Amino acid sequence: MKSLVIARSGAQYAARKMILASVHAGNATDVLFFGPADEAATLADCGAGHIATWSGATLETNPADGPLAVIERYAGETKPDLILFAGDSSGREWAPRLAWRLKAGIVTEVVAWSTEGETLAFRRPVYGGKAVATIVSDTPQTIAVVQAGALDAPEATAAAATVKALDYDIAAQASWPAVSNRVSETSSGPALQDAGVVISGGRGLGSEENFKLLEPLAATLGAALGASRAAVDEGWVPPTWQVGQTGKSVRADLYFAVGISGASQHLAGLTAVKNVVAINTNPDAPIFNVARLGVVGDYKEIIPPLTSRLKEMLGK
Amino acid sequence: MHILVCLKEVIDPEITPQAFRVNAETRKADVPGAALVTSVYDANALETALKLRDTIGGTASVTVLSIGAKSAEAILRKALGMSANNAVLVSDASIGDLDSAGVATLIAAAVKKVEGEGKPVDMVLAGRQAADIEHGQTGGMIAEALAWPCLTFISKLKPSANGIEAQREVEDGHLIIQTQTPFVATITNDQSNQPRLAKVRDVMMSNRAKIPVWSVADLGVAPAALAPRTRITNLEIVKRESHCEVIEGETAVDKADALAARLRELKLV
Repeated sequence: MKSLVIARSGAQYAARKMILASVHAGNATDVLFFGPADEAATLADCGAGHIATWSGATLETNPADGPLAVIERYAGETKPDLILFAGDSSGREWAPRLAWRLKAGIVTEVVAWSTEGETLAFRRPVYGGKAVATIVSDTPQTIAVVQAGALDAPEATAAAATVKALDYDIAAQASWPAVSNRVSETSSGPALQDAGVVISGGRGLGSEENFKLLEPLAATLGAALGASRAAVDEGWVPPTWQVGQTGKSVRADLYFAVGISGASQHLAGLTAVKNVVAINTNPDAPIFNVARLGVVGDYKEIIPPLTSRLKEMLGK
Repeated sequence: MHILVCLKEVIDPEITPQAFRVNAETRKADVPGAALVTSVYDANALETALKLRDTIGGTASVTVLSIGAKSAEAILRKALGMSANNAVLVSDASIGDLDSAGVATLIAAAVKKVEGEGKPVDMVLAGRQAADIEHGQTGGMIAEALAWPCLTFISKLKPSANGIEAQREVEDGHLIIQTQTPFVATITNDQSNQPRLAKVRDVMMSNRAKIPVWSVADLGVAPAALAPRTRITNLEIVKRESHCEVIEGETAVDKADALAARLRELKLV
C-alpha cells in the first residue's frame, strides 16, 4: 500500500511518528512537507522513500487554503492509497476538506490502524473516550487524521529519503480568508505537549489569580502549566493551556491534576501520561480513577508545603 | 446579516464511564433514560451567532438547523428560547447511517433551500466537532459543498470594514483572519461563547413556534448521494482499572510531606 504523510514545519514530533508508523505498517511511504527543504531533511532517516517540499508565500497569509491546493494537486499526481495527517489545527482542517474533494473515506482521531488485504480498519476513541470504535473505509483512497503520540511507531533509522522542492505555483485567491495578524502565547518553561512534568489546574482553582499558586511548584519541577476546559471557559487561562479532547494531548511522565474533576473529555488528553497525581477536595471525583497517587484536600493548603518540601529534597 | 447555525442532538456527554453502555449490534451508545442535549461546541456556535447578531443589530437574524431524529426538535426549541429567530429540522426516517460527507450534503442543500425561500445566508456556523462521535469533519465539508471560504477553530467573530474578522485558536497562540461573506466557520470553546440562559418570555414563545420539517426529497437530494464511505464495524467500552494510592495524613501539611516523600520514593521527581 502506498501512503503519503503530510508534514509541516514546527510539528517535527508528529511528522516522525507518522512516517515511522506508516513504514512499520509496511507501506511504501512518501512525505509532503510544508516548510524549508533543510528542515525536511531532518525527516529523511525515518524510512520514507521521497520527501517533496513546498514553501510558497501563501503559507503565511493563507496557511489553510494554500497548502490544501498543493496537497490536492500532489495527491492527484501521485495517487496514494492512504494519506496521513497530524491531529493538529492544520491537519484537522486540511483532511476533511481534501476528503470531500477526493471523495475519499476519512477517519479522524486515529490511534491505530490495520490492513486486511486492501481494507483499512482504524481504531479511535469516541464518546469522550468512554468507548473505542473500529471504522472501516470502503473507498480506494482513504484519509486518516492521527493522534501521533498514540501510534505504534518504533524508532528506526533507514537509508536517506530523496528530498526535492515542488515547483507548484499557487496564487492566493481573493476568496481565501487571509491572516492579518499572528499572536503567540509565549511561556517560560517547556512546551505543554513536550513537557516531562505538567501542573494542570481546573474549575477547583476558582479564579485567574489562583493559577499563580501553581507557579512555584512548576518552577521547582521544571514543569509546564496546563488547564482543563472549565478554566479556559471561565477566562482564567488562555486556550493554549487547555489539555484534553479538544486541547492538547500531553505525554508527561508526571501530571498533577489540581482541582480537576476528571471528566472523560479531559482524561482523553492524558492517555500517554505515565503518572497522574490528583489533588481534589472531592474524594469521589473521577480523576482518582486514573490517578497513580491521590490527595483529598484543598490545593491551597497542599501545594505550598508540597513545593517547600520538594525544594528541600531537590536542593533548590 | 443572516447567520445559520447547525445544532446536533447528542447523548449527554456528562454520563460517567461507570454508567455508559453501548449496544454491540447497533454499534451506538445505549443508556436508557439518558438526556439528549445540544452538542456542546454547537452551543458555543449558537452563542457566537446570537452575540454577533446583537452586535450588528438591524435586521440581522439567526436560523438554527438540525439534521436528525424528530426528538431534535427539542434542541431547536431550546435555541429559539435563547432568542434564535427561526428554526428548521431535517428529519427523514428513510435516512440510514450517515457519514460526515452525507450530513454536509444535507446541510448544504438545506442552506440552498433556506436561500431559495428568500433569505440569503451570510455565514454557516457549526461546532468544531460533535460531542458524541467527534469526527470534526462536517464543518469543513459544508464549506467545500457550498464552495464558500472555510474558517476552523474560531473563538470570536466580529464585523469588519470588508466583512468579518475572526480569531482562530492554534497550538501556540491565535491568528486574526479577515474574510468576506458568505463563509463557513467551525467554532471552538471560549470565555466569550458560553451559552446564555433563556429568558422566560422567549421560552414561552418558543413553545408555540411551528418548526418546519424537511425530508431528503424536500431538499432535492438523491438518496444515493448519501451513501457513506466509512462505517463503524465495532464499538466497545473502554475499561479502566483504578490503581490509585491515596496519600493520608492528619493535616494538609502532613499529606503534602507524605506526597513529596512518595514521589521521591517512586523516583517521579
